[in-house]
Amino acid sequence: MAVNATNDYPSGAAGIFARVRSLLTGLTITGRQALRPVGTVRYPREKVVLSPRWRGALRLRGVLGRDEISVLSAGPPAYNALIDGLYRENRLPACVGNCPANVDARGQGYLLGEGKPSEAYELVRERNIFPGVLGRICHHPCESACRRNYYDEPIAIRPLHRHAYEEYRKVADERLKPFTVHHDERIAIIGSGPSGLTAAYDLMRLGYRVTVYEKDEKPGGALYSGVPAYRLPREVLHDEIGNLVKMGLDLKLGVEVGKNVSMHRLLDVYDAVLIAVGLQESRILPLPGHDAEGVEGALPFLRAANWKGDAGVKGLRVLVIGGGNVAVDVARCALRTGATEVRLACLESDAEMPCHPWEIEEALDEGVIAMCSLGPEEVLVSAIGSVRGMRMRECISVFDEKGRFAPEFGDEYTDISTDVVVFAIGQAPVLADVIEGSELTLTDRGMLPVDGTVFTTAQEQVFACGEVVTGPGSAIVSIATGHEAAESIHRYLQGQSVTEGRVVRPVPLYEEYQPALLDGVEGERRRVTVPMARPEERVTDFRPVELGLTQMEALGEAMRCLRCQSEVCVGCTFCARTCPDYAIQVERIDDPGQRRVTLYDLDLSKCCFCGLCAQQCPTDALTHTGQYELTFFHRDLMVFDCDEMLRSGEGTRATGRDSGREGNGEVSD
Amino acid sequence: MSGLIWGAIYGLAAGMVISLAAFIGVWGERKIAGRIQLRYGPQELGPFGLLQTGADTLKLLLKEDITPAAVDVRIFRVAPLIVFAPAAMSLAVIPYAYGFAPIDTGVGVLFFVAVPAISVVGVLLAGWSSRNTYATLGGLRAAAQMISYELPRTLSVLPVVLLAGSMRPLDIMDAWQWWWIPLTFIGFIVYFIASLAEINRVPFDLPEAEAELVAGPFADYSGIRWAIFAMAEYGGLVAASLFGAAVFFGGYLGVPGALGVIVFVLKALVIALLMLWVSWTFPRMRPDQLMATAWKVLTPMALIQLVLVGAVISWL
Repeated sequence: MAVNATNDYPSGAAGIFARVRSLLTGLTITGRQALRPVGTVRYPREKVVLSPRWRGALRLRGVLGRDEISVLSAGPPAYNALIDGLYRENRLPACVGNCPANVDARGQGYLLGEGKPSEAYELVRERNIFPGVLGRICHHPCESACRRNYYDEPIAIRPLHRHAYEEYRKVADERLKPFTVHHDERIAIIGSGPSGLTAAYDLMRLGYRVTVYEKDEKPGGALYSGVPAYRLPREVLHDEIGNLVKMGLDLKLGVEVGKNVSMHRLLDVYDAVLIAVGLQESRILPLPGHDAEGVEGALPFLRAANWKGDAGVKGLRVLVIGGGNVAVDVARCALRTGATEVRLACLESDAEMPCHPWEIEEALDEGVIAMCSLGPEEVLVSAIGSVRGMRMRECISVFDEKGRFAPEFGDEYTDISTDVVVFAIGQAPVLADVIEGSELTLTDRGMLPVDGTVFTTAQEQVFACGEVVTGPGSAIVSIATGHEAAESIHRYLQGQSVTEGRVVRPVPLYEEYQPALLDGVEGERRRVTVPMARPEERVTDFRPVELGLTQMEALGEAMRCLRCQSEVCVGCTFCARTCPDYAIQVERIDDPGQRRVTLYDLDLSKCCFCGLCAQQCPTDALTHTGQYELTFFHRDLMVFDCDEMLRSGEGTRATGRDSGREGNGEVSD
Repeated sequence: MSGLIWGAIYGLAAGMVISLAAFIGVWGERKIAGRIQLRYGPQELGPFGLLQTGADTLKLLLKEDITPAAVDVRIFRVAPLIVFAPAAMSLAVIPYAYGFAPIDTGVGVLFFVAVPAISVVGVLLAGWSSRNTYATLGGLRAAAQMISYELPRTLSVLPVVLLAGSMRPLDIMDAWQWWWIPLTFIGFIVYFIASLAEINRVPFDLPEAEAELVAGPFADYSGIRWAIFAMAEYGGLVAASLFGAAVFFGGYLGVPGALGVIVFVLKALVIALLMLWVSWTFPRMRPDQLMATAWKVLTPMALIQLVLVGAVISWL
């Protein structure tokens, strides 16, 4: 049968005939079709049973105002297991996971928001023994991992530490209590830097008697001798160390192990010894002229500047070699001790500089001149044997393809005239005196072989932590090693295996955030700006550069925290903002300490089940149930309110009014 | 007074007839559509799925009667009835059995072609009161189409009136001769096509176009009100089939007495079946094709038929 599927019919009678024929053809086709046996199978006789108590596609696990947000708190040996467990369940907040010491920044934000700064301080102190100190100097990996980066700007976690400390200081005397001693063993810790004191704090919590030996007259280690006072006022450091002493720490100042007391004696008297001496010696490149007058290492320079307030550079020009944080500290100290001109020369290009970007930015504001991609070649020495300049060579690339340090130099030379050259290219430990009298030996390069995870040394009784092990690093990394070393010492003293059944702190990788688009972001969503002293004013002395947050600012900032992975809805409204159909309505009260969600409405008649809301929910409170079938007797029932959203599992009656605001709660289970 | 009572009884009866027709019609349509598409159609509920329509009706009745906030409520509510009532009314003048039409009137044919035109108003009102662009446009398109096809439809039944010399349906039945079938066949075809267009069935359902235009004038209707529109469509289909069977194919003639009703219904059933068959065979027309068919094809055809019959009458 020819099927004509066209509109082009001939004109006249033939056309009419063709049209009628095509109509008849169509009818014939369908007519024959209808007489043919049916091609499909019969539908199977099947009954689909829909539960009248079916749940709906989305549910809330918890909501602020009804559910508490748990803080991460556990004794020193159990904390790693807690963090690891949460991480495996995908319930670890990114800020906590990214912190080397796993400080509970979420709990801090929660407690601060509830108006409990002292509790917040004590919570932070469990993992970071110096919240006030780290609140000023930490390089805050927590903030880089903050989920808020994804929406607008991260929470100011570090300034909040500082705020918590300042609030705590007012009530410290009431809250400080000495730890009870319930173990006979005694432990000696060499060095009162962050790692040593962290281990001391953990061991005191576990009930041991701890003695810390410090060779300087003041405690603090690198925090005292290295970190300049404009970043860390000494009273803050010594106040927090003083708190440790009030908790029962035996701190022996001005006692140098290897000189005033021998390692041999320590091993006799104490049951365990922890070496946490840090790095004592600045490296200086063996260039021609490196022994000329005016060439200095970074650590002696910083010590002089910090302790005496005078590094002997008044009225002189200073050139700092190196691009790390120490180099920036040296440069800014040089400015503050009266140098007329401070230059900073480093191998790396300005994008690759190893120091933290905010550090170099503040230094540039203060007038430091950065000269990038220059490698030191030769110290130019004047006739009387003092420095008159430095010859630098152009550096083409610093790292090879595999990312190893292998600088390549060009042919261009630059002479920089200067009076003082400070090398800030790295530090080395000085351990020979310390370990004399033990069974330990050093490597050719003067390093102590230490297990990098459990911090044991060749001698069973001796442990080591801090920068002795990790090399130059940040304070919070040293603190993390202190916790681990304390656990090892505890296990050793209790006769347990140091490794067996031990949860190694997970090192999760958190995504790097691109800067979020801030166009159209409301003012109250923005991160608080930490006020800074004006550059021209602050370079004149060692007063703090960063000024603290006011109480209201700190409260507001703590409110911004989304309480990630807490499985409690905080009313952040990001689900409502994400929803393409405007199906979600969220309202909350933001009053300090009273923050709660007052309205959470999901209109299922608008919902397209895309799941974007649950996908982005920072707290994981909003989840997809995977149940899509639902029937309603009335359209009003399609709006799920907060109570309906919170109903657990399959136990939701979607077909009748729930016990929510209407209050006719005839819920039957 | 008695007229009112009789009217109420007729109205009730007509409503029930249409409901029953819709009940069976929907089932039949789905079955036929299914067979044409090599499917079974409804088969689960009742024998051959006969009760499926009942379940659907129950569902439609139980559904929420949504009245959107912005509509003109009174008109919105009454529009379905304005569409449905003329379809029911037009059943009243059809000669069902020998000497019996519920309303025996001298202008029966006129009544039959004129009254359904009222439903144009209902459709317009439905679209207009919905206060929504799609519905309003859909209503206007439907009105344009229905008014256009009034003309060929009216013209197509005129030859029979000419032959019978009366507009009274019972008179037409009395005068009816078998040879009228070939004589008025062109007229029947015009009547058939125009009726399809009048009740907005495929291939003339372009104002409604459920899938594309969200049912045109009925966009905002749901539940039972929407069902009334659908029933009016089936009512129109039933009325058109019955009337066509009566005037073009001699209705109850051929069998004496009350049995003639059965013959009459069977004849109407064949025409209804043909309408369903056409619906599931041809694709929807374009608006320009629709208008061209009405004015350039059907109207001239009806006029030719009229002239033809006129010539035959003068020759008689």
